Amino acid sequence: MGTVFVCEDSLEGVFTGIYKAYQRKENHEECKVQAGQVNNYELFAQYVEIPSEDELAGKVSRTICRDLGMEAYRAICQALATEADDKADAVYHTVVEGLKQHRKSSNGFGQAAGSIMGNLTNPYIRRVFELSRSTEFEIMRIKQFIRFQELENGILYGKVGPKCNILSFIAPHFADRLPLENFVIHDDKRQIFVVHPAGQEWFMTTGEHFNEEITGHFSQDERQYEELFTGFCHTIAIKERKNLALQRQMLPIRFREYMVEF
Amino acid sequence: MKDSKVSCQKPINQNQIIFQRKDPMSLMQKLEILSDSAKYDVACTSSGVDRKGDKTGIGNTVSGGICHSFSADGRCISLLKVLFTNECIYDCKYCINRKSNDVKRTSFTPQEICDLTIEFYRRNYIEGLFLSSGILGNPNYTSELIYKALYKLRKEYHFQGYIHVKAIPGTDPVLVQKLGLLADRMSVNLELPTAEGLKQLAPNKHRKSILTPMRQIQNGIVSNKNELTLYKNTPPFVPAGQSTQVIVGATPESDYEIVTVAENLYKKFDLKRVFYSAFVKVNEDKSLPALPGGPPLLREHRLYQADWLLRFYGFQAKELLSEERPNFNILLDPKCDWALRHLELFPVEINKADYQMLLRIPGIGVKSAGRILRARKNTNLTFEHLKKLGIVLKRALYFITCNGKMMYNTKIDEDYITRNLLSVKEKLPMDTGGITYKQLSLFDDKSFMESQPQIEALKPYQMKELQEEIIRVS
Repeated sequence: MGTVFVCEDSLEGVFTGIYKAYQRKENHEECKVQAGQVNNYELFAQYVEIPSEDELAGKVSRTICRDLGMEAYRAICQALATEADDKADAVYHTVVEGLKQHRKSSNGFGQAAGSIMGNLTNPYIRRVFELSRSTEFEIMRIKQFIRFQELENGILYGKVGPKCNILSFIAPHFADRLPLENFVIHDDKRQIFVVHPAGQEWFMTTGEHFNEEITGHFSQDERQYEELFTGFCHTIAIKERKNLALQRQMLPIRFREYMVEF
Repeated sequence: MKDSKVSCQKPINQNQIIFQRKDPMSLMQKLEILSDSAKYDVACTSSGVDRKGDKTGIGNTVSGGICHSFSADGRCISLLKVLFTNECIYDCKYCINRKSNDVKRTSFTPQEICDLTIEFYRRNYIEGLFLSSGILGNPNYTSELIYKALYKLRKEYHFQGYIHVKAIPGTDPVLVQKLGLLADRMSVNLELPTAEGLKQLAPNKHRKSILTPMRQIQNGIVSNKNELTLYKNTPPFVPAGQSTQVIVGATPESDYEIVTVAENLYKKFDLKRVFYSAFVKVNEDKSLPALPGGPPLLREHRLYQADWLLRFYGFQAKELLSEERPNFNILLDPKCDWALRHLELFPVEINKADYQMLLRIPGIGVKSAGRILRARKNTNLTFEHLKKLGIVLKRALYFITCNGKMMYNTKIDEDYITRNLLSVKEKLPMDTGGITYKQLSLFDDKSFMESQPQIEALKPYQMKELQEEIIRVS
């Protein structure tokens, strides 16, 4: 029956997979792209392992930017940051649909492919939209709820445990916001770090040589400001309007273990 | 902390002694007192302006605003919301800091404000500063102190985060102008919806002295925009616009009056937001209403729903309410209520209706209307599609057709639809279910029962009339 392209669970991996799927020139309806491990093998499908190739991935990413537009590109990147099992396949078929529409519109028919993400009646595009929206929410929440603590050496250290891999989306925000600070953002679930040296560009790194002990020593003032803020959070609440359910809805419990005021 | 002690020992001029006489009080105590008195101010949004950092200091702003925490009442904590001082020369009856109240009084120094803001901001606790104030000495003197704090924050610390500052009525226009060049948003509280209410509860404030700075800020924003088109480097004046706040339920105004006032403020004063604050009784005073059911939260909620209809849905105040029906239906949200009174416009064909009409259908909001517009370019939409696009079909189904067909065999009949809409429960923010203020949702019986006493106490019409109305509607 169909072919399943199994690729690495990363932007490069999935883009390479899409390139290879196109290269085969098979019917797209019968092909699938799978990121990471295959959990449930299909009986008659043919499985092809695809190693990532930066060059091919670059080509696909340029094609998406050019023909599907930046809105679609952003949505695709965000969708691929999630942990959903069907994300790569949804992205693959969104690209197929987008390029089809692009071909049509460059021949003078139909909508321009730039509006492809509006076509929510297509199940694949809708799936990418849903995934990208969930990433979007997670990005927003981490921007809201990350708490930096000042370590003894003056570095700001923020630990988060996001549902999906979003460090690369939030790093530019904080780099712009705190340009003169040394700060580190630590993804507790994936052991990835964003490091921003004061006045320089930020970069990402993995935590193989991470010394957990350093993060336990805080600067002199740290304690005081944590207390001040905790006190502030208490006094600012109006007791006549107490509504813990609403608080829990706006600020789910899972974020609280990383926040100083709880 | 350190710096504040230094400045405490060396008063710069005679005036400064006044506001430092309560020192030494620890920063913690000050923050507790001054945030406690600031909490009744509703506005805590950090939205309206997008600004990148300039790499020399700290901070940027995001147009959507960012909430950094949520307090036990479910309201967002976005800005460091404090008063500069809780000393006050006025005696407004509803205010905890009125002159005649015996409360602990204190003031921040500009240095303390800067330290708190910067250190909180670095740790990502806050999005910026919200500085309001009681009146110390006179309005000009207080505004000058506020100006000093903001100036230090912007020019010495190069803080580019969000600053919301209150303009104190009675301040010299020159000072208001100078504050506006440092702040992102300014607001003057209208306090009470009508001049009469203001006279009753805030004898020292006058409608005119509130509207004067409001008009000045509006004109400032307009002329600043004109300058910006000519000279790119003109410093922006109140780039995030101005807002105001009215207290709901302290005086006997009807919803119709409040909504009309809000509409006028949006139209004539170009306000970004009008905030409604359910009256919380903090003082015992014979001229204040008794609120056995707690603050009028349901009423506040309906006003916010109507406010959204005014700003984003193209509704007008007189469409929602009238002299004859001056208050919102407590059972239905304002949009459902409007639709039921205008059944002649329905059902609407989803595949053909224009944006403005889509927005008027109950169960369809700004986002889903946008999605419908985009999605129907490619296909003819069906009910199955609508469900997937996030339209609340249980409410919308009585008002729409897809390809000429209704979802079920329903009647276009006011009683019938009302009955059906009421059988679906509405989730309200003050309910345990908890939903944001932005969502329109259906009524919940439980909260109706709970909120009855307060409505009885507040609204001019009595329970009997109310029951008659319910019988009439359903």
